[in-house]
Amino acid sequence: MRSSTTGWLLLLPTIVILVFTGVMPFIYVLLTSFFDWNLFAVNPEPQWAAANNFRRLVHDAEFLKSIWLTLKFTLYVLVSQVAIGFALARLMMRDFPFKKFFRAVHTLPLMIAPIAVGATWRLMTVPGLGPIPYYLKNWFGIDYRLSMFPDQAFASVVLMDIWHWTPFVTLTLLAGLSNLPQEPVEQARIDGANEVQIFWDIILPAMKPVLLTTIFIRIMDALRVVDEVWMLTQGGPGAETRFIGLHIWKIVFPKTDYGYGSAMSLLTLYLTIVICWLLYVAMTARKERPL
Amino acid sequence: MFMRHLATSFVALAVASPAMADFWSDAGAAYQGVTIRGVSESTPPSNYVRDVLAPKFTEATGIQVEFETTSWDQMYDKAIKDMEAGSGIYDFVYIEQDAIYSYLSRDFLVDMTKMMAENPALVNPEFSFDNFTSFIDYFKNADGDVFGVPMEAFIKVYLYRKDLFENPEIKASFQEKYGYELAPAKTFQQWHDIAEFFTQYGLDNGEELYGTTVQAASGHPASWYEFWESIAPLYGVYNWGINQDTWTASVEHGGRMNSPEAVEALTFWLDLIKYAPPEATASTWDEVASSFAAGRAAQGLVYGENATWIATNAEKSSVVGNVGVALPPTAEGVMEEAQAGNGYIGYYDGGAFGIPHSSKNKEAALLFMEYIAQPEVQADWAEAGGRIVLNSTYDDPKVQEIDAKTDHYFTLMKDSGDLFAGAPPYPFHNQVREATAPFIYEAIIGNLTPQEALDKMAETTETELKNLGYTAN
Repeated sequence: MRSSTTGWLLLLPTIVILVFTGVMPFIYVLLTSFFDWNLFAVNPEPQWAAANNFRRLVHDAEFLKSIWLTLKFTLYVLVSQVAIGFALARLMMRDFPFKKFFRAVHTLPLMIAPIAVGATWRLMTVPGLGPIPYYLKNWFGIDYRLSMFPDQAFASVVLMDIWHWTPFVTLTLLAGLSNLPQEPVEQARIDGANEVQIFWDIILPAMKPVLLTTIFIRIMDALRVVDEVWMLTQGGPGAETRFIGLHIWKIVFPKTDYGYGSAMSLLTLYLTIVICWLLYVAMTARKERPL
Repeated sequence: MFMRHLATSFVALAVASPAMADFWSDAGAAYQGVTIRGVSESTPPSNYVRDVLAPKFTEATGIQVEFETTSWDQMYDKAIKDMEAGSGIYDFVYIEQDAIYSYLSRDFLVDMTKMMAENPALVNPEFSFDNFTSFIDYFKNADGDVFGVPMEAFIKVYLYRKDLFENPEIKASFQEKYGYELAPAKTFQQWHDIAEFFTQYGLDNGEELYGTTVQAASGHPASWYEFWESIAPLYGVYNWGINQDTWTASVEHGGRMNSPEAVEALTFWLDLIKYAPPEATASTWDEVASSFAAGRAAQGLVYGENATWIATNAEKSSVVGNVGVALPPTAEGVMEEAQAGNGYIGYYDGGAFGIPHSSKNKEAALLFMEYIAQPEVQADWAEAGGRIVLNSTYDDPKVQEIDAKTDHYFTLMKDSGDLFAGAPPYPFHNQVREATAPFIYEAIIGNLTPQEALDKMAETTETELKNLGYTAN
């Protein structure tokens, strides 16, 4: 009894912080989503709207487009980062010249704030100022203008995110690889397994918990990306890189449409949870092997 | 004896006069050590306040000033959140002319006329709202009370490169090609021809020179502003084409947002992009000024706050001494409408500092507002920021000197300022802009034709106004 009370007392600060920073804002957003509330409407007070905001979402082409773009962005960056990150982690398990230097340089992007990453990429890509459009045009005759060509803008945003976050994937997978017991691998080699078999049947299953954690973190980050995209493209050209985070920001702040923005936020949260859950189920499903 | 009295009086006067005559140290005495906080957009006039006027004010009064200059979006974000939440972070905020109606509708700001009447000890005897140009009228309510002290005002003018336009060889070549003399554009066809000519000239001579600036950011409202505030009025489409009696936008419902004139204007403007520097589709007002200052454009519409530094500051501009200033071209009848007060030919932009109700240091902030409104500080500020808010500033010898260097930009502003207009008095300014701007972006990148973009904008505007309660559901 006494130890239980002590335990709760020790947990109390955390619970209080969690309630204030997590639970209460969530409840506030949930309540707001059932109201029409725009500060600059004829009636600036919240008006009960029942589920209208959620109904609007289903028919909102801009919102649906931003969801689609976000999912596409998430898929591209996730697959790229996991593939490259895994390859680099495996590479760093071996010895090679300048390994420490490479590891330090490779990790540098992680230390830069997303807003600064976006600003740096913008400086590099603005026509008339940035080196990338200049050299692409002079060396290859490519007209590189993020603000004009949607495909270039989308690809650049994906590349920027890969550049920024692959080191995170590398580091977490490297930590996982370092802790793997070497005996099963050695045993497999003795039994004549080749490298592909070792990777596919031993390393990958053993890395599943680390991979799953890394993928979840990256999915959640990718679904809520805002700052670096805002700096690089501001969601343009048109709305071709207006991912859901940016879209919600525009609805909630410049448009001050709080009710509708809250509904969008909730739906996005729901979507994130569903995606993570589906992925979890898919990755942890036991494979039944024929005897 | 008389001499002794005289000497005594002189000494007494000398000792007493700083305290008596220096209004700022007297008025500021009660607020020594207080820190007032402000937020504004990072523009030449605001940066001058931060770097020069705020430190001088602190020196004069002992009141500290923390003045944050940030991006346009962030400035609004921070100011509105602070005022709405009543958190009192800021003691003064920048109010862009087009935002004042939203702020007044939400009662965010202190009535400065009333505050001064109630606190005569805080009013500098030399301060008067009558000193200001008519731009201050934008910051008054229906009763004539003032809610913001203007700190910048300028017009968006047509700039051109005099060195190019007056070059005899270029002139001859232009004459030969187009059959008329090269001069600042008076018609849209001339604007187009000049743009086409200089873009080709740049290509032929291996120069990074383009025909015109276009503020066509394809993901930022700057492009929306250039079209609705500067281009559409030149074609006679005013107030964004919204019918203010019915709050409708489409031609079908009595508006002009998708009228033939608006379509013609958008078609013309979009066509200019191919003669603009490649950065045009990423350019807001700042980048347009930078492109012109870098000598990358032969002509274009540039906000006046940048005109003076482009024309005079050799450290930042490579076209110093070569900048010409003129009124923009207009469609037939538009100039006459503007002269009659029934229309306008471009944007009279600017802003003021206001005190939020949530401020915790209103009195100290009021003193700061008055300090920056002194005639003595205006001339240098005008040079740094191309802005004039007091009538007397036009006559200042220093300003007249700058005026001569800027091809008489200030004279143009003084004489023709009434042809320009601020944003229409819409409390829903940001809401309609945000709802409709994506269609301008889509038109810029070619996903929508001008007609499609304007039809969608008109429809969306009406939906938005309905949602906001301006029209019946």
